[in-house]
Amino acid sequence: MNGKVIAAVVVIVVGVILGAVNFLESNVEYADFGTAERSGKKVQVKGEWMRDMESRFDMEKAQFTFYMRDDNQQVEKVVLEGAKPNNFEIATSVVAKGRFQNGHFHASEVLTKCPSKYEGDAESVKKTL
Amino acid sequence: MTIGIVGGILVKLSFFAALAAAFFYYRISRSGMTHLTAFARNSYHLATVSLMSAAAILLYLVLSHQFQFAYVWNYSSTDLPLPLLISTFYAGQEGSFTLWALYTALIGVFLMHYAMSKEYEPEVMSIYSLILSFLLLMLIVKNPFEFIWDRFPNDLIQTGPVPPGVANIVVLDAAKSVWARYPAEGKGLNPLLQNYWMVIHPQILFVGFSAMAVPYAHAIAGLLKKDYNSWIRVATPWLVFGGMVLGTGVIMGGYWAYETLGWGGFWGWDPVENSSLVPWLLCVAGIHTTLVQRKNGAYVKTNFALSILTFVAVLYSTFLTRSGVLGETSVHSFVDPGMWVYWLLLGWMIVFAALGFGLLFIRSRAMPVKPVEHSIFSREFALFLGAFALTFVAIFVTIGTSSPIITTLMKGKASAVEMSYYVKTNLPLGIAIAFLSGLGQLLWWKHSQEKSVLRSTLPSIVIAGATTLLMAVFATEEVMILIFAFCSVFSLAANTQVGYGIYRGNPKFIGGSVAHVGVALLCLGFITSERYDDTKTVSLERNKPVEALGYTMTYVGYAPIDRERFGFNVELEKNGTRHTVTPTMYFSEFTRGLMRHPDLLNFLSRDLYLAPLSLEEEQKGDLKSVELQKGAEARVGELTVTFVDFSDVDRMAMIESREFTIKAKLSVKEGTGKPRAVTVSIRGSQRGMEPEVVLYRDHRDRGYEFLLSRILPNREDPALSTIVLDVKLPEDPAIARRGETLVVEASIKPMINLVWMGTVTLVIGFFLTILRRVSEARERTRWERG
Repeated sequence: MNGKVIAAVVVIVVGVILGAVNFLESNVEYADFGTAERSGKKVQVKGEWMRDMESRFDMEKAQFTFYMRDDNQQVEKVVLEGAKPNNFEIATSVVAKGRFQNGHFHASEVLTKCPSKYEGDAESVKKTL
Repeated sequence: MTIGIVGGILVKLSFFAALAAAFFYYRISRSGMTHLTAFARNSYHLATVSLMSAAAILLYLVLSHQFQFAYVWNYSSTDLPLPLLISTFYAGQEGSFTLWALYTALIGVFLMHYAMSKEYEPEVMSIYSLILSFLLLMLIVKNPFEFIWDRFPNDLIQTGPVPPGVANIVVLDAAKSVWARYPAEGKGLNPLLQNYWMVIHPQILFVGFSAMAVPYAHAIAGLLKKDYNSWIRVATPWLVFGGMVLGTGVIMGGYWAYETLGWGGFWGWDPVENSSLVPWLLCVAGIHTTLVQRKNGAYVKTNFALSILTFVAVLYSTFLTRSGVLGETSVHSFVDPGMWVYWLLLGWMIVFAALGFGLLFIRSRAMPVKPVEHSIFSREFALFLGAFALTFVAIFVTIGTSSPIITTLMKGKASAVEMSYYVKTNLPLGIAIAFLSGLGQLLWWKHSQEKSVLRSTLPSIVIAGATTLLMAVFATEEVMILIFAFCSVFSLAANTQVGYGIYRGNPKFIGGSVAHVGVALLCLGFITSERYDDTKTVSLERNKPVEALGYTMTYVGYAPIDRERFGFNVELEKNGTRHTVTPTMYFSEFTRGLMRHPDLLNFLSRDLYLAPLSLEEEQKGDLKSVELQKGAEARVGELTVTFVDFSDVDRMAMIESREFTIKAKLSVKEGTGKPRAVTVSIRGSQRGMEPEVVLYRDHRDRGYEFLLSRILPNREDPALSTIVLDVKLPEDPAIARRGETLVVEASIKPMINLVWMGTVTLVIGFFLTILRRVSEARERTRWERG
């Protein structure tokens, strides 16, 4: 009986530690471009898309390239593995998840933050009058 | 207008009736005042009928496009086909809570009759009515019958004389001449939801959510009555029913994401998906531990805890996905519904968790403690471990989904976990579950002889070992995946073996084996379709065949599907067989974004999945236009162009309006090199002026295109005549010149049909189990009554 209890406790403790380590590892920290460049770690950077600078989709590599300015006004080239994110044009800000690589920010994911678009607002009510 | 006010009143009536039913039933259970029974039942029926009427009114408002109601305006429009128009009933929060409440109320009618015969009516129905009244309270806070001018008073309500000839006007107060305008068209349904799954999937999910309230109500009833054993027998059919329906809903959501949303797989660990998965996992864990208690009376507290927890998980999921607390950490947009809803959802969860666990704590000392009588080699222990693993999966998934809340508390900034978190934490548990789902079936209750265990498991172990060995030889694979595959095949073989035995003996009991075969198939489907998925980004220039993934793919052009959507036809050929798939892509006015939907070919052994990424139009190099007088020069790209003179001007032809050509001589210089002569021309006829394109290649063989687009003659001084020269600069050499190109992500998903087959098998297993448990519960009651 005692052996069983010990085994159960060991299983639970191992499970909890495994879970906690995984949780912390997979929770990508927020950072700015400067910190991201120095650490080389995978981070999330919040910023704004530079509309007047080059942005294009490379068909061969299936990468979307654009320029982004972080909250410290630092502008960097961002290469996203994938197509242009949805609602990219109307996003008020974007969050790029990735790390610095060969002088640019290489993103695995870019989330767009949009003005609340699904709830009806006063502006859209006027449009449908 | 009045009908909407009636709808609002009916919701309130329903709320008070449900509250009254909860109160009367509680009085009956406390003091046995059976004369109140009729009051309690009538109150419950009144609540149900009022709610049904309110729902019917809402449906009528939706179908007849009454855009003076904010909810109807917000989610529907006149151009939707009927099934989708009906589905806008539950496209928003107000409507989906209405649907949830409606199903809860209707299930309660059956529950009442069921509980009557089991002598559980007062306790079960008092708790159940309380749950219903909480749902109805939500409808009072988030009123689906709110008028649009009440939501936007500043924009819509006006005072003064009503201007003539303006439609869609409601006079609110004739004496003070207050009136309001309302929209003639609705905002429409989110295009992501415009799909036949929208018609069926939310309905099934809400039936499942509603059903999860029943085991909870039974657990509380058991605690109130101090009946710690027989409540299980009464509650089990409902627990299995909830598990079946919610499980169907969960996997349907996965199929929806796979087939139309283009997530590439059937599971994305998205908060919305997770929030229906967690209650299901806990429900399934509960099904297993109640089995032990039925057999030998163990796990009394565990069963109470799991039944309570399943419902609390439903409430927590609702809180996560409906309160706006997750913010924008996911691809789903979580609308912030306001403070009221947030606190109501949070309070709701706390109240029912506190009620359940508080009662459990109070009663736990009085509960009989049954000493553990089973050995490690017993079915009881395997069931316990399995339930334990399922609960752990539920906990890990809940923690992962709650990450934005946890990180906000810890670091002040919300962030979501990566998908890898779910895979890493759940893979070992998945292995354990797969293994136990096979082993448990082969063990005896109480204790099995080691020798007999070995003998009965040997065939399955041999089959699983051989399959895994083949896999290890032919595919380089991680150890964990190999173990997972081994356990899944083992479970498949073991359950087939056991199932066959039961089928020949007593087919009534086959439900468990069938469900486990389904789980094993599902696990194998996960492995084949996720691990051996072959994905490639392919650029398909129009009408140019490309070889990829063993297919010849040709993009043959696009065609409109309806007002907004475009289908992109891709022909696929393999060994002489031709297929066409049509992924769609369009710009949606509603979301103001690009929508992409995949298309797939489903074969027995695999799916070919084509998700569109983008359409690249023909590349147009930079066009530069320069105006040049005779003798003047201009920089164009890296060239210096000088307009020398006109040549061969046929004035007679121009005057007689015959066809004529004007030529202009240019001198083009590259850097410091020698200038070269280039002649551009424009041909005039009665049809107009037609310039001719002249190609110029520089020393690096980059092509400039010259075009004499216009001549601005100066009649006084022909020497001052000007030409307009359009020059197309060469393409960036990094980008090859192409025509219209469709970029797709093509992938092959081997044996993904195993996932769907497994799901169907699992659901059938659940169904067979319900049949068995219902008839058991019925026989037992008959027997008890003598």
